[in-house]
Amino acid sequence: MPLINLNATLFGFLSIFICFTIYIQMQKEYLGEFEELILTMVAILGEESYGNAIVQEIQERLDRKVNLSAVHVTLYRLEDKGHVKSHMGGATTSRGGRKKRLFEISNAGLALLHSIQEQRSSLWKLVPQLKIAGV
Amino acid sequence: MIKNPPKRALRFLEWFCPNFLFEGIEGDLLEQFDDDVAQVGLKKARRNFWWNVLRFFRPAIITRNNYKLKILNTMMLSNYLKITTRSMMKSKLYSFINAFGLSIGMAFCMLIYLYVQEEKSFDQHHVNKDRIYRMQSRAYDDWQKNKGDIYDYMIYLQTALGPVLKEEFSEVIMSTRYSNGDEGVVSFGDKVFTETLTYVDADFFQMFSFEILEGDKGTLLSGQHEVVITRELAKKYFGDGDPLNQVIEIDNEGSKSYTITGVIEEPLANSSFSYNMIIRQENRPYYLRNNENWRSYNTPTFIMLAESTDFKSFDQNLNKLVDKYLGETIAKWELPEDLPEDFVPFTYQYSKLTAIHLDTQISWYKSSDPQYALILGAIAILILVIACINYVSLALTTSKSRRVEVGVRKAIGANRSQVVYQFTFESIILALVSMLIGLGLMWLFLPAFNEFTNREIDITAANFLELTGIGVLISIFVGMLAGSYPSLVLSRFRPAQVLKSNFSAKINSGFTKPLVVVQFALSAFLIVSSIIMYRQMEYVTTKNLGYNKDQIVVIPTQTGWNDNANKAVKRMRRALSHHTSIVSVTGTSSSFNKGTSLYGYKINDIDRSAYVYAVDSEYITTLGIELKDGRNFDPNLTSDTSAIVVNEALVEDMQWENPVGEYLNWREDSVGLGAKVVGVVKDYHFESLERKIKPMFLSMDGYLTNLLVKIAATDIPNSLKLIENEWRALYPNKPFDYNFMDEDIDRQYKSYSQWMKIMGLATGFAILISCLGLFGLSGVNALNRTKEIGIRKVMGAELSNIFLLLNKQYVWLALIAFAVASPASWYVMDIWLSDFEFAITIGWEIFAISMLAGLFVALATVSYHAIKSALINPAETLKYE
Repeated sequence: MPLINLNATLFGFLSIFICFTIYIQMQKEYLGEFEELILTMVAILGEESYGNAIVQEIQERLDRKVNLSAVHVTLYRLEDKGHVKSHMGGATTSRGGRKKRLFEISNAGLALLHSIQEQRSSLWKLVPQLKIAGV
Repeated sequence: MIKNPPKRALRFLEWFCPNFLFEGIEGDLLEQFDDDVAQVGLKKARRNFWWNVLRFFRPAIITRNNYKLKILNTMMLSNYLKITTRSMMKSKLYSFINAFGLSIGMAFCMLIYLYVQEEKSFDQHHVNKDRIYRMQSRAYDDWQKNKGDIYDYMIYLQTALGPVLKEEFSEVIMSTRYSNGDEGVVSFGDKVFTETLTYVDADFFQMFSFEILEGDKGTLLSGQHEVVITRELAKKYFGDGDPLNQVIEIDNEGSKSYTITGVIEEPLANSSFSYNMIIRQENRPYYLRNNENWRSYNTPTFIMLAESTDFKSFDQNLNKLVDKYLGETIAKWELPEDLPEDFVPFTYQYSKLTAIHLDTQISWYKSSDPQYALILGAIAILILVIACINYVSLALTTSKSRRVEVGVRKAIGANRSQVVYQFTFESIILALVSMLIGLGLMWLFLPAFNEFTNREIDITAANFLELTGIGVLISIFVGMLAGSYPSLVLSRFRPAQVLKSNFSAKINSGFTKPLVVVQFALSAFLIVSSIIMYRQMEYVTTKNLGYNKDQIVVIPTQTGWNDNANKAVKRMRRALSHHTSIVSVTGTSSSFNKGTSLYGYKINDIDRSAYVYAVDSEYITTLGIELKDGRNFDPNLTSDTSAIVVNEALVEDMQWENPVGEYLNWREDSVGLGAKVVGVVKDYHFESLERKIKPMFLSMDGYLTNLLVKIAATDIPNSLKLIENEWRALYPNKPFDYNFMDEDIDRQYKSYSQWMKIMGLATGFAILISCLGLFGLSGVNALNRTKEIGIRKVMGAELSNIFLLLNKQYVWLALIAFAVASPASWYVMDIWLSDFEFAITIGWEIFAISMLAGLFVALATVSYHAIKSALINPAETLKYE
């Protein structure tokens, strides 16, 4: 006989996975590095923050290549968590007349960014202020 | 101006992308494409475009198509969880009632799941399981005629069949005979025990994948005087010493020495084979005689077929085999005229090893009926349904406390589906919590369950994971089922009405009543069924069987099927005769529930059959069997050795007017008249009460393989000691094994009493769960009517009036439930009782008793709240008006 019943085991795993996902979903307060970057970009760009603009801004300022789809997905996730809000608007010819989905940082998002910055700088203060060799 | 981006990529994007996202994404992509064209040229830009579209083909985009998923992902889930825990904590009693019922229901379901898995796993551990078959025969049988099938199916086949199949058939790679159950006396030094022997062929270990602990698998049993024993036996005889190459004596119809060449692991719980001491088939008593005789059917045979077996030609070859070895015998069979056209008097058939366990046509050691799993499953579902009804009715009647919450939720923007979702979520959480408790309960119940069902189911890491999976599945299902109706009702509240403080409309308490009736009907069904089962078991264990089964010790004489057995009885009688605590000593060929022998014979061209018991002259007096006519055997008359004493059923079968002095030619003696009838005994139940009393006779001509000692009722342990001492003095090298006859007889009904216990347990839980539900329900109802009761009391109602007022409805519900359940249980129990030839009649009093009992329990449950609320001072309840 098969040592374990495959279907039931798969189901067991699946249910554990679902529980885990729900658990993860409920961990709202945590922000990943990429999420933080995108949130900051939304804050920087203000009125004109939408997918492509964020990609270009990151390319320009950080010289980092990011993929448009990743940016979109992250923006939607941030919206789920209530850190950004979105509305449609600002069609241009280079977009074939398509409207942009414009994002705007919410109060909760801004507060979160603030608290992250504060945490960072308070932690940074604790690092021994050594000089970098050669400077 | 846009320079044509790939159209197909855009169409693809449109296909998978949710509509509300499409415009924003498409715009961004086009913008990027525009830039790309300027920077890297059209061709590369088109390729990039394709690539970027493909990158959007990801779950986070594709599945992001609706509102609902968004709800799942938002804060609400944790809010629901919080509210669920709060409302559970708030009404602890109701949560307990719900969780208790559900967890027991789930524990039952999981146990049934384990049971079914165990049943399915039987014999699955053999590597060659798909190529191993059990041989069986289908033979014409006169006696079977009235059963509707003219064939009899047998697994006991000729001794020579196994070797012949292997020798003459290229398809048969290996074959082994498997005769299990003979007992032999095994001795090693001063250790003497009776052991069950298993006679097989050397292929046994090659065909099946039994775990060999010591010894060389390839050469096991290659010599005739080799023996393979189990791990336990090795420990029993040799302790920690090395059993290999030790020599033991095994005595079964003659003592022989055997060398131990292997130690084998104990048979698995889910194996159809059992074994202790395995020796070669050739050592079986009368082997040579049986091997010659193709008319003697005496051993099951297993074969292993080649992978490329053509079953059609194999069947044909088997038919040729029948012609070759059995042709002559079959030709002599006297067959009736009215046979179907495709009639074949005798065929060999084979069934797959893995099908043996659940085969209902031919019974096999440990085989079981798949019906049992169905019955168990039905019981589990019954309990689960009762628990679900508790949940529904409690949720409905307590919904008052939740409606403000629903009102507020709706007022701040929740739509109805969200409220439904919330309450369903709540019931799923409750079900999940119950599942966890249920897992624990299952673990607690498992030993008892194993005992009831005769299984050895263990919880391992693997099946624990399975169980968790099944549990989650059941929880979600039960949660949805039980939660659906309350959540639909609760979500229907209109916020404007609910939030007005004086809203007091009754909601839907009407629908809880049918639910309670269903719940009660299910419990009533179980109550009636288990009372009937109990009465029947009481009947079979206390019925006068026609003989006295008490204080009779049964001791196998273990001297073989020969005259020594009779001598042993005589010697023991002489040795024990002067003890006052020994009433009498006798012997018989087969004690009750230890096998019977049925003889078929032909008298005046009519086939008849009768059971034969070899006895001595003390048998009838020792068992207190009543003589109706004639006399008992006389030990002093030599002519009595060929005389018989018959029972009434035989007299009727033979249609004798004056049975004493008649002759019964049961040996089909062509010269003499046969055995003379000297006496007639009243019919007594030599078989279990499942069967009719068949024709039977007692004869002095036979071997008394069982010694029966009737002892005085006082001081049984000392009498036993006495018998043992005398036995040891007479037979120092034979083990003293004994049973009490009444225990042997009760064992006939073991499976019934097991089922009765399971039913009893299920009934107990069902009643408990439904009573808890009723308790909660009556509490809520009494609470809802507090003011009414207050007013009634002010107007002069007595305690008894209030009590009646509150309980009247439950009495009605219980009565309706009984009216529904009684016919159903009568029908089912009638089927169950048809297993017994001697059964109680299902009378009205059983229903009356069950109904009164059920009513009493129900009233006792609801009375608490009724009395409590009837005793409240009306001033307390009315002072706020």
